[in-house]
Amino acid sequence: MKQPKILFLVVIALLPLTLISCAPWGTQTAGGWAGTAFHDGIIYAGTRDGRVVAINSSTENLEWSYSTAPVTAPSGGLSCGQTSITTAIYGTPVVDRDIVYIGTYSGQVLALNMLARSQNLTFPQRGYGEWEWDCPIDNAKSNAIVADLLVSDDTIYVNSSNGRVYSLDREFGDLNWESKVLDEKHRKLWTSPVIQGNTLYVSTYDGHIYALSSETGELLDWSFELESGFVSSPVIYEDTIFLGSFDRYLYAVKMGSNVPMWKFPQEEPADNWFWASPIANEDIVYAGCLDGKVYAIEAKTGGKLWEFDAGNPIVSSPVFMDNLLIVTDESGTVYVFALSAEFGDEAVPLEIIPIGADVRSSFCAQEGLVYIRGEDNWIYVVDIDMGGVRWKVNLTIDGEGSV
Amino acid sequence: MSPGDIWYLIIGNPVLNVLIALSHILGGSFGLAIIVLTVIIRLVSWPLTKRQLHSTKALQDMQPKIQELQKKYGKNQQKLQQEMMKLYKEAGVNPLGCLWPMLIQLPIWIALYQAIMRALATTPENLLGLASRLYSWGIVNQAIPLNSKFLWLDLGQPDPYWILAIIVGGTMWVQQKMTQAPTVDPRQESTQRMMTLMMPLMFGFLTLLFPSGLALYWAVSNIIGIITQYFVTGGWGYFQFRSPFRAKQ
Repeated sequence: MKQPKILFLVVIALLPLTLISCAPWGTQTAGGWAGTAFHDGIIYAGTRDGRVVAINSSTENLEWSYSTAPVTAPSGGLSCGQTSITTAIYGTPVVDRDIVYIGTYSGQVLALNMLARSQNLTFPQRGYGEWEWDCPIDNAKSNAIVADLLVSDDTIYVNSSNGRVYSLDREFGDLNWESKVLDEKHRKLWTSPVIQGNTLYVSTYDGHIYALSSETGELLDWSFELESGFVSSPVIYEDTIFLGSFDRYLYAVKMGSNVPMWKFPQEEPADNWFWASPIANEDIVYAGCLDGKVYAIEAKTGGKLWEFDAGNPIVSSPVFMDNLLIVTDESGTVYVFALSAEFGDEAVPLEIIPIGADVRSSFCAQEGLVYIRGEDNWIYVVDIDMGGVRWKVNLTIDGEGSV
Repeated sequence: MSPGDIWYLIIGNPVLNVLIALSHILGGSFGLAIIVLTVIIRLVSWPLTKRQLHSTKALQDMQPKIQELQKKYGKNQQKLQQEMMKLYKEAGVNPLGCLWPMLIQLPIWIALYQAIMRALATTPENLLGLASRLYSWGIVNQAIPLNSKFLWLDLGQPDPYWILAIIVGGTMWVQQKMTQAPTVDPRQESTQRMMTLMMPLMFGFLTLLFPSGLALYWAVSNIIGIITQYFVTGGWGYFQFRSPFRAKQ
């Protein structure tokens, strides 16, 4: 009787282990949180199944959809056979004239022509200015593109998970240059670059802000170093870089300086990371924090003007629309603040609009409407004047309410 | 509070945060942090291990009496087993006791697996999810994100060279050989022999499936087990023991 008992115990002990090795329990697979872009009456977004979609905001119909190719790759050890690299999209599409640029988690940068896509022609149609660029893995773990692309003049700048920055020709997708590996320790650039003049600024998880020549990709003399890594993408306002760190402070770094101009909060750190990039206007920096608070901070001194406790993490960067500040928390509640309002310590929103879905993506706002992609793979169009969701569309193929 | 929340509050988050804090203290080496955490876990579970080792030692000391019983009741298996159980009971020894430490370790393995995958933040979602699981300790926040490289290993991935699988399997086999008390029943003896082989093979195989950070824990845990076994029971135990049934065959 004892033999089956022993075997039973062993099987019971090992079964959960075998199961968790093949299931993502306790971890999350890459699903993507592509944001929305609005251009000329069309909403552009990445979906959770790796498609780029264009939706006409007047007719609420799908103009076109393009599915980024699925990729499979062998995994390390035996694992569970081949690992499918999802075609998740994290970056927000960048629209310039008739081309939509997007980076994918499978390491591609795509230039999609609106006309060619609406005719569903084979990709890429070079005659239409379409191209595709594959980021090399370069002995790193991944070539995924997580950060937003930066389009400036004739160039596209790409931060890759292999730790390098790439400069591509905007018209043909040819490689102009690649930088050296900026973060040898993590080999992971998940934050977006920012440009001022001929200088590109890149923040890294090993706590550096690097300045690169936008012409050659070479490192310039100045760099800034912090003990903790930087969690958010840098933002430039006048001659200062603002960004959040894993040490739960928001930093203001004057270009060329080796010491921070200020850090916020000035004493004890915040209760979580400043994950989203802050935005700045008229000498005020607005920063959302994963501790659920939105802070208005004096850009010059780092002094707090006001705060607002949303109660849920702020994952997406706030946006400006006319004289309004729009903030969305992770639970999908949209808060609208008047920029001109005088608050005491606590700000009071003009409007609070729940959309009923979690939000992690960046969003855009224009002419009284806010375009948000929820984690449920729907696009919500929030009407600020109406104080509610004007219309919504399901991005899941054949889902209820899909386009 | 859901069962998942309770799990993270009691086991998941403490393991994660201690691991990250250790990594910072040890110069940013996540591999060293896993090794030190293994030592800590072995120290905490020492009373249990000690009891198990003493059971093994007691079984070893009982061998002359067992052989006596074998001679006396060799032809009557039922009676032999009854007498054996009586003897075990008198000595306060449980022959299945060696399995309990493994079962108790199961939650630790799962917590470690989750901690490794979360701490190394292999996807952007994992990195964002990590934010809600970290304590406000400065030491923890300064360590993020972690470096997954240790020796030839990427701790978030299985070892592609199978070296760790051989080490895990090999050390487990040695440890089992040292602790498996001989039995008097030929059927039980054959099952035990199969188990001594099967367990290391299974764990060697699991090493090829799991992130090498978890396999590193198994390897270090086995090595500590062998060392403590050697010193507590005073030698290699049953490692060089030859089954009388095999000799007969």
